[in-house]
Amino acid sequence: MIASALFAKALFEGEYLKALVGACIIGVVAPVVGTWIVLRRMSNLGDTMSHGTLAGVGVAYAAGANVLLGALGAGVVIAVLLILFSASQRLGHETIIAVMGSALFALGIIIISRIDTTEELEHILFGDVLQLTWGEIGINLVIGSVAVGVVLLLFNELRLASFDHVQAEQVGVHVELIQGVLVVLLAVVVVISLRTVGSVMSVSMLVTPAATARLVSPTLRRMTIVGVTLGVSEGFAGVVLGQALDAPPGATIGLLAALVFAIAYAVTLPRRMPHHHRPFG
Amino acid sequence: MAIHPTVLEVTKLGVHYGAVTVVDDISFAVGHGELIAVIGPNGAGKSTLFKAICGLVNHTGEVEVNGVHCHSRTDRMDIAYIPQRSDSDITFPITVGELVLAGRRRFHHWYARPSWHDRGEALRMLALVNLTGMEGRSLNQLSSGQLQRAYVARALAQEASVLMLDEALSGVDQPATAELFEVFERLVDHGTTLLIATHDLALARRRFSRCMAINGRLRGDGPPGVVLSPDVLDRTFGSAAPA
Repeated sequence: MIASALFAKALFEGEYLKALVGACIIGVVAPVVGTWIVLRRMSNLGDTMSHGTLAGVGVAYAAGANVLLGALGAGVVIAVLLILFSASQRLGHETIIAVMGSALFALGIIIISRIDTTEELEHILFGDVLQLTWGEIGINLVIGSVAVGVVLLLFNELRLASFDHVQAEQVGVHVELIQGVLVVLLAVVVVISLRTVGSVMSVSMLVTPAATARLVSPTLRRMTIVGVTLGVSEGFAGVVLGQALDAPPGATIGLLAALVFAIAYAVTLPRRMPHHHRPFG
Repeated sequence: MAIHPTVLEVTKLGVHYGAVTVVDDISFAVGHGELIAVIGPNGAGKSTLFKAICGLVNHTGEVEVNGVHCHSRTDRMDIAYIPQRSDSDITFPITVGELVLAGRRRFHHWYARPSWHDRGEALRMLALVNLTGMEGRSLNQLSSGQLQRAYVARALAQEASVLMLDEALSGVDQPATAELFEVFERLVDHGTTLLIATHDLALARRRFSRCMAINGRLRGDGPPGVVLSPDVLDRTFGSAAPA
């Protein structure tokens, strides 16, 4: 009853409509990219990217520049640093990513602690989907459509490079280029998540719906479709529920996504038990 | 086009990681339709040798495929490398059919989708390795022997003349090994050359036409009866030489 009343309200009041549209856009784009992040076990990189953008946001805000550009700049810096340091045989990717993420997060905290934070900056960090403007929605729609288009265009290349990079290289796939493209797409998702769920929570939209879809989908195509369905539903429901409970929408979306993941994990647990899994039977 | 008598020729191949030499000064030539066991202790450089031949690691020396000197990785698409089973993520959401279709990528641009011809070829290769009807299965629904045959089908879909299988027979039971060899022998009859890294010396003696013993360098190369002699095994395995 309450939900249907809020839904009707959403349809008629501009800010709710914008919030729902904004949440749905990120609900589509994040799982499309997140599918590959989860499959390639790069979720830590998503975390690094979301925390690392804090430094970019802080620098841009202090300089009076566009904070979205600041976040995107930080994303590109992370991508370049990752490529530069990935040559280290002694340290694994995970270690480099963890060091980079904590360093950029620390830098972001120091920068932000030295400037007068305002409500606007808080909206960037923690999201405020109700403050979205149609202009921002338009930008997110265009950037998000490009990101989804790139993934669809590279679908086969991503599959080959993600499953068996050795064979992929052998048959002519540019594996490192594909990796670079994926890191840039990751930065794009974080940037278009800023207003919706905030930089800190963006990784939840990127990873959680895709991880839930991974639990219940035997094929890649289905994993992508289930991920998008979950992303849109959780985004939509998170905005409505956040309003009903007077809770921040970004955090509500993140919590809802985690709850759905927990249910899917519990439901699929018997299927994943050793006696059901016969890899080399 | 005339067929070159040697499908693969390796000259003075070496792989060095800084000051560490993994393989050094390895030279050999391989003809069409040979079934070769590559033996050696753990860490002898068998996998590194395979990867170097495929251009997957930097190396010194030369590699020629069908008489053509290889400058880049794309010159070596006639060689297919099938990694150790532990290197693959069999929980990845990919079907057997999609796995085999991956071999057809070399015939396309990056943006192209596999054609109906490619799908037909993939099914044909699955039939060749006795996996007809398995194209819709996930990899974790296959037995170890079936998984190896699926990888062989992918290599065949790549239309590779040389297949290099890294520890393909480890953990595979006797009936599955027999079935794999049935496939290998059929491929050899069709002119495909297979190099298989194995620790099973009894199998190498029984089922292969040629053996290469490696431990950093090539310690022996020839018929199993010659290479699996106490002298060569001692040079290859040292004090741990099998009886």
